[in-house]
Amino acid sequence: MIYIFKELRRHKWRTIFSVTGYALATVFILLILSVADANKNDSYGVLQSTGTHFIVYIPTEANLCTSNIANGSVFAEGVKTMMLDHDMVRTIRNVEGVKDAAACLQYKMFDGVFQSEVSIAGIDTSSLATRTNVLAPAHVISGRYFSGRPEELLAEESFAAAHDLSPGDTLKIFGGKMIVAGIVNSGIRPVKADFYAPISLVRTILKDRLLCNAPNFDMNIILVEVADARVQDDVITRIRNMMYKFAVSTYNCYQPANRVMSIIDRSSIGLTGLIFLFLVIFSAKTQLTALMERFREIGILKSLGWSDSSLAIHVFLVSLIQSVAGVTAGVLLAFGLIEFLGHLDNPVFSSYSFRLRFGTIPLIYALSLIGAVAAGLYPAIRIFRTKAGDIIRNHM
Amino acid sequence: MNNYKIECISLNKQYKGRNVLITAVRDVSLKIEKGEFILLKGRSGAGKSTLINLIGGLIAPTSGKVTIDGFIVNQLNNKSLSNLLLNRVGIVFQGFNLLPTYDIYENIEVALAPRGLSKREIKKLAIPYFERFGLSEMMHLLPEELSTGQQQKVAVIRTLIRQPSIILADEPTASIDDITAGEILELMRNLCNEQNVTIILATHGIVPETIADRMIVMENGKVINQ
Repeated sequence: MIYIFKELRRHKWRTIFSVTGYALATVFILLILSVADANKNDSYGVLQSTGTHFIVYIPTEANLCTSNIANGSVFAEGVKTMMLDHDMVRTIRNVEGVKDAAACLQYKMFDGVFQSEVSIAGIDTSSLATRTNVLAPAHVISGRYFSGRPEELLAEESFAAAHDLSPGDTLKIFGGKMIVAGIVNSGIRPVKADFYAPISLVRTILKDRLLCNAPNFDMNIILVEVADARVQDDVITRIRNMMYKFAVSTYNCYQPANRVMSIIDRSSIGLTGLIFLFLVIFSAKTQLTALMERFREIGILKSLGWSDSSLAIHVFLVSLIQSVAGVTAGVLLAFGLIEFLGHLDNPVFSSYSFRLRFGTIPLIYALSLIGAVAAGLYPAIRIFRTKAGDIIRNHM
Repeated sequence: MNNYKIECISLNKQYKGRNVLITAVRDVSLKIEKGEFILLKGRSGAGKSTLINLIGGLIAPTSGKVTIDGFIVNQLNNKSLSNLLLNRVGIVFQGFNLLPTYDIYENIEVALAPRGLSKREIKKLAIPYFERFGLSEMMHLLPEELSTGQQQKVAVIRTLIRQPSIILADEPTASIDDITAGEILELMRNLCNEQNVTIILATHGIVPETIADRMIVMENGKVINQ
């Protein structure tokens, strides 16, 4: 062992070049992986939540929320629906892959003032599933979002424009006086209504003001948010299996997101594989070059009676020590560089997010060691198969 | 069991040139007794170094065989050949073959290291040789910092210190002054006489024939006189 370290020390520059080569390759690989990984995570952040929402209801032919005062019904996507018990929300929240579920109560009736059918969606304003399926505070285009005051409504922009509504207007509608707190444009959503209100208010409207006759006033739609676009199909299947009557309505944009993520995954695996292959080849090449340079010395030692096995071990250890030292230096350097670049206020680097993936470090060690062993194989075989005199003669 | 320490039987060695086969040793057969001092003479390119390397098992013959104490050297496995080179055969190379990044003491040390000697034992063995050859003050210099003659002395020390029973010396005095050359030859002669060491000394220069028990002359790879 003492000769191995002596060897490394004596061939100082060769050792330094070799270790530096490993270190630079490691830094390069870790930087690329860091950028690729961070970008993948960022892309995933967007794609994972693309289209990951849907609604569940039970369509029916009959009107299950009748009233002598109002000619209306609970509905979803243009069809009448059954009323659902609130326990169903808890059940669906527990389905594997579901991130959030919320209750929604949607009702429409003919209104004499507007001389048209007017719909209202009662929503749980604190729920994520509501924000993705119905409405979010960011969708307010004028006025304000629900402030907790009683009798507040939000009007959908198209309806407000058609009927010249503005924030602050007071309307006599749904059996009471309501205030338009804000105008919203929620875009294309599974649940669209002319007005939105907290679900408790809509329940009060149906139960106490319109005196509807219904099994309960909990909800008629369950809003669901899925954890990841890639599991959405599975979640839908699980929910359908809970009750065959369930209608599930989803936008299919989660499917392209799912496909894009699969493509990113494959590219990422391919890129990582190529980078690691480069590391193995690079380490093998670096070591092989260094070993071949000192092959004459190996021949001399062999002529002095050093056994082939001890020389082969010598070759492997020199190779392994250099690779471990190089990768260690490279990891430390990469860590420092990633920290530095991550905090650098530079327009070129600020567009990248650098994150060191610690899980790859053992893999880099393992692969560089494989490279080092691979590099040692050829010289080791030559040591065993070539006579000392031939080695000396061929490496003058 | 014969009485010969070394025997070469119909030994041939050919090297592949760019387009031709170069015959370095041609049908050499010779017998060398234990404790014999052989002067192997011939011009440059006569095949002396190749013959030395063949006898030491450093290269394989194209045909024929070399035996040492009845063992066929060119059929020994790697381990046995290493043992032979470590314990019984010492070779002084024409080009010295010193390790360029090791100082001259370490060059001696690595020759003894495989025997498992301690640093103290190695030092005890090495110091007298360095003193005898006037290299005591230079032990920690690199080979390139020594003159050619001094390097040759180190190569000789590296062989002698291992006390082999066979010394194959390829031009061991070519680069050193007459006085030191005389001392080396004298030392080898004494080893022959006192310790029954077999010596084959290849030279194309002027070495007194009287130092040897026998002279073998080579020309164009052939032994023409023995």
